[in-house]
Amino acid sequence: MRTKRTVGVYLRYILYGLLAVSLAAYAIYFTQNPNVNDLNRFLINAILGLSIFVTLNTGLLSLANAGFMAIGAYSSAILVAKVGLPLFLSLPLAMLICGIVGLLIGLPVLRLTDVYLAISTLGFGEIVRVIIVTTPDLTGGATGANLSTGFPFERMRQTETWMLVLFLAFLIYLFYWLDRSKTGRALRAIRQNSGAAATMGINVVYYRNLAFVMSAVIAGAAGVFYAHQIGSIDNNDFRFSKAVDILSYGVLGGTTHWFGPILGAGLLTVLPVSLREVFGTSVAFFTQLPVIINGLALLLVVIFLPGGLFQPSRYRHKEMPINEAEIADDVAVSKESPPLVEGEAVGPPADALPLLELHDVTRTFGGITAVDNISFGIPQGIICGLIGPNGSGKTTLLNLITGIYHPNRGRILLSGRDITGLPPHLIAKLGIGRTYQNIRLFNDMTVLENVVVGHHARIKTNLFTTWLRLPQERRQEALARQEALGLLKRLGLLGFASQPASKLSYGDQRRVEIARALALHPALLLLDEPAAGMNDVETALLAEFILTLKRQGYTVVVIEHHIDLIMQVSNEIIVLNFGKKIAQDVPVEVQQNAQVVEAYFGQE
Amino acid sequence: MVDASLLTNPVYLLQNLVDGLARGAVYAVFALGFTLIFGVLDIVNLAHASTFMWCAFAGWVVMSLLNMPLIVGLLASMLFGGLVAVVLEFVAFRPLRQEGAERLSPMISSIGVSIIMVSLAEAAFSAQTKKFPSGVLDPKPLYIGGTDGVRVSWGQLLIVVVSIVLMVALGYLIRRTRTGMAIRAVAYSQRAARLLGINVNRVVVITFFVGGVLAGAAGILIGLLTNNISPSMGSDIELRGLAVVILGGLGNIEGAVVGGLLLGLVETFTIAYFDQGSDYKDAIAFIILFLILLIRPNGLFGRQEANRA
Repeated sequence: MRTKRTVGVYLRYILYGLLAVSLAAYAIYFTQNPNVNDLNRFLINAILGLSIFVTLNTGLLSLANAGFMAIGAYSSAILVAKVGLPLFLSLPLAMLICGIVGLLIGLPVLRLTDVYLAISTLGFGEIVRVIIVTTPDLTGGATGANLSTGFPFERMRQTETWMLVLFLAFLIYLFYWLDRSKTGRALRAIRQNSGAAATMGINVVYYRNLAFVMSAVIAGAAGVFYAHQIGSIDNNDFRFSKAVDILSYGVLGGTTHWFGPILGAGLLTVLPVSLREVFGTSVAFFTQLPVIINGLALLLVVIFLPGGLFQPSRYRHKEMPINEAEIADDVAVSKESPPLVEGEAVGPPADALPLLELHDVTRTFGGITAVDNISFGIPQGIICGLIGPNGSGKTTLLNLITGIYHPNRGRILLSGRDITGLPPHLIAKLGIGRTYQNIRLFNDMTVLENVVVGHHARIKTNLFTTWLRLPQERRQEALARQEALGLLKRLGLLGFASQPASKLSYGDQRRVEIARALALHPALLLLDEPAAGMNDVETALLAEFILTLKRQGYTVVVIEHHIDLIMQVSNEIIVLNFGKKIAQDVPVEVQQNAQVVEAYFGQE
Repeated sequence: MVDASLLTNPVYLLQNLVDGLARGAVYAVFALGFTLIFGVLDIVNLAHASTFMWCAFAGWVVMSLLNMPLIVGLLASMLFGGLVAVVLEFVAFRPLRQEGAERLSPMISSIGVSIIMVSLAEAAFSAQTKKFPSGVLDPKPLYIGGTDGVRVSWGQLLIVVVSIVLMVALGYLIRRTRTGMAIRAVAYSQRAARLLGINVNRVVVITFFVGGVLAGAAGILIGLLTNNISPSMGSDIELRGLAVVILGGLGNIEGAVVGGLLLGLVETFTIAYFDQGSDYKDAIAFIILFLILLIRPNGLFGRQEANRA
C-alpha cells in the first residue's frame, strides 16, 4: 500500500513533466507554424472531457460519448447543410436531440448495475455508426458527410477559436456552481455510496439519468463544433477508439474536479502533436507511440493514482473558520418539517396510531427465511430495542423497513400509510432515517458535507436556482449548513466539521451517521449497532443522547449487542431468533422471558 | 425485402443452418472466456478481444512463418492465449483486487491494456490483413447430398468439432474436478473461499488461463471462418461477444453457448434472406443486446436479480 502511494507520487510527477515538455515542444512548433487547428482540437477535447466527467463523477462508466458526439455532429451537419440553419441555431437543436436520445437510452439502462451500462453504451456507439452507414440519403452513408454527398460545408469551417473558448468558459461556470449545489452533492454522494445516498432521500435513478443526459448534451455540442471545424465528417471519426480517448481525458486528468478532464484533454492532445514533430511518421512504432502511452497511462493511473492526476484536496477550501453565530440550534430549513427544539417534549398524541406497523412481513433469500412472518407495532415517541443472536434477522428487518429489500409477503405501514414496496429514497422522505452496521459515510466528503447531504430532500433548490444564482439558492444552502453545524454541535463533532469523514475514529464516524440521519428530520430513527466500536464513555454519552432524542419526540429503534445500553434506554424490546419474533415486552419482562434466555444461552 | 424463391428452397435453408452454426460456434467459444471471467471475478475483461487478436497472429506466425500444421498452430495459439491472460491478471487486475478499489477500475485498466495490445499489433504487423497459408486445410469442401446439396468446408467441420470438445472440456473442468469446485467457490464468494483454505489468487490465475485458452482457440477458429487476420479483428468480435454474454446472462456458461449459436444463426439468416442484409448484420448484435436489457436484464437464462441500482 505504501509503495503503491509512492509510485503514485512519482507517476504524477512524470505525467506533469510530460505535459510540461510537450507543451514546450508544442509552443516551439506553434511559433514556427502558427495554425489554430491543434488549439481548436484541444478545446473540443476539453469539452468532451467535461462530458465524461459528469458521468464518472457520478460513478457511471459510460462509453456512449463518441456516439453522442456523432449524433451532435450529424444533426448539425444536416441542419446547416440541408435545412440551411445557421450554426448558432443548429447547436442548441443538436444538443436537444442528444438530450432526448440520452434520456431514451439512459432510462432502461441506468436502472441496472454499472457493468450493463458500460456494455450497452459500448453497443450504443456502434448502433449509431450502423445507422449512419445504412442511411446514405440522410447522412451521406459510408462515404461520410462531405461535398460529394451534398454537404457543402467543407469550405465553411465555421468553428472559431473564440466560440470554443466561450463555450468552454460557459461550461466551467456551470460546473463550478454545480459542484457547490444540492445536485452536485447528490451526484458525488451517489458515486461514493449509492445505497447510503438513497436512504438520505436522494433519488438515485433520477440523478443518474440527469448526469447521463447532461453528459450526452455536452458531447453533442462537442460534436457540433467538431463537424464545423473539420468541414467533413465520417462514421469512422466516432469509433470505439474515440470513446476510449474521451474516457482517458477523464480518468487520466481526474474524476473529482472539473479541471481534471481539461488537464487530461490537454495532455492527450498536445503529447501526440509534439511526438509527431519529434519522431516524424516514418517508423510504425513511433506513430503508435501516443496510443501506447495513452494505454499505459490509463493502466498506471487506475492502479497507482485512483482519482486521476488533478485531485485538489477537497477539504482545503472548506477549512474555513466556523462562526459560532452561524450554528443553528433550532432553525429548520423548511417550515413544514418539525424543528429540532432542544429539550422540549413533544409527547405522542392521545389517539396515536402506532408510528410503524409490520403485518406478517416475510422475506426469503433462496431457501433461507431471513424474516419470518413478523408483526409488531411501535407507538410514537418510544425507544424500541431490537435484539437477537447473530443472524436472527435484525438488519434484514431494517433493510425491509427502509425499502432496500422488499418483503415477499406482508405489509409495512408508517403512520397508517402503506410503504411496502416503495423505493428507499421515498421512504426516507416520508420520515425514516437510519444508520448502518457497517458504516456507510461518504468518505471523500467532509463531516459537514455528509450531514448537509442528509438535508437533501428539504433543500428547496434546483439547477435553475443554482446556475442563475437566485437568492433562494444562497439562503437554502446557508440554512442547511447552519442546521448541519447545529447537529454536529449536539453530537460533539463540531471540531471535525471540515475533516474528511474517513479520517475519523470508528465511534466518531458512527455519530456522524446519526447526525446525517437526523438531518432528514425523521419521524422514526433506526440505529443499527450505534455503539459498536465505541468505548464505555462514548457508549454512556450515546445512551444519554438517545434519551434526549426521545424527550424531543423522536421514535427510535436501536439494534445493539450492548445489553446494558438496550436496558437503559428502551421502553420496549423486540427479540428475534431465526427470523421469528420471540418476544415483545418491557425490558424487565424480556429479561425474565424463558424463550429469550434460551435463545441467548441455550437450553438448560 | 425477403426473396420468396429462397424461402422455399430447403437446401438453401440447410446450407445457412450449417454456416450459421459454424459462425455461432466461434462466437460461443469467444464468449465463454468472457463470461467465465465475469462469472468468477465480476470483471468485464475488455482486453479479452485483444488477447483473441494476438492469438490469431500467434497462430499465423506458427503456421505461416514456421510452416507448422494446423493442430500445432491451434495448440500454440491456445497456450499463448492462456499465458497472455495470466500476464493480464498480474498486470491489470490483481493490483486492483483490494479493498477500497472502485468497482469500475478493472474495466478501465483492461481498456488501457487493450489499446496497448492493439497498437503494438499495428506496429508489429501493420494494419494490413494476414491469411493462414492455404495448405493448412483441404480447400475442397464436403458435400452432403451430392454437389447440389449442402456444402460443408473442412474449416467449418473443424470449428464445430473443436468447439464441442472445448465446451465439453470446460463443463468437465468446472463441474467434475477439484479445481472446478474451487473456481465455483471463488465465484460464489472470494472471502468464503479464502476462509475455507482455497488459494484464491491461484484459482484466479487458473481462471484467467482457461479464459485465455478459449480466446486462443477462438482466434484460430475465426481465422478458419473468415481467413482474415488483422489488428482490428478484436473490436469486431468484442461487441458480439458482449451481446452473446448478455443474451445468455452475464457469467452463465450454458447461456453463452446457446447465445453464441443463436447470434451466429440470426446473423447468417439475415444476410441470406434480406436485401442489404450484410449492412444490417452488424446491428443485430446490438439490437439483441438492447432488447434483452429492456425485457430480461438477466439474460434469457438468468434467474438472479440483476436490478441492484
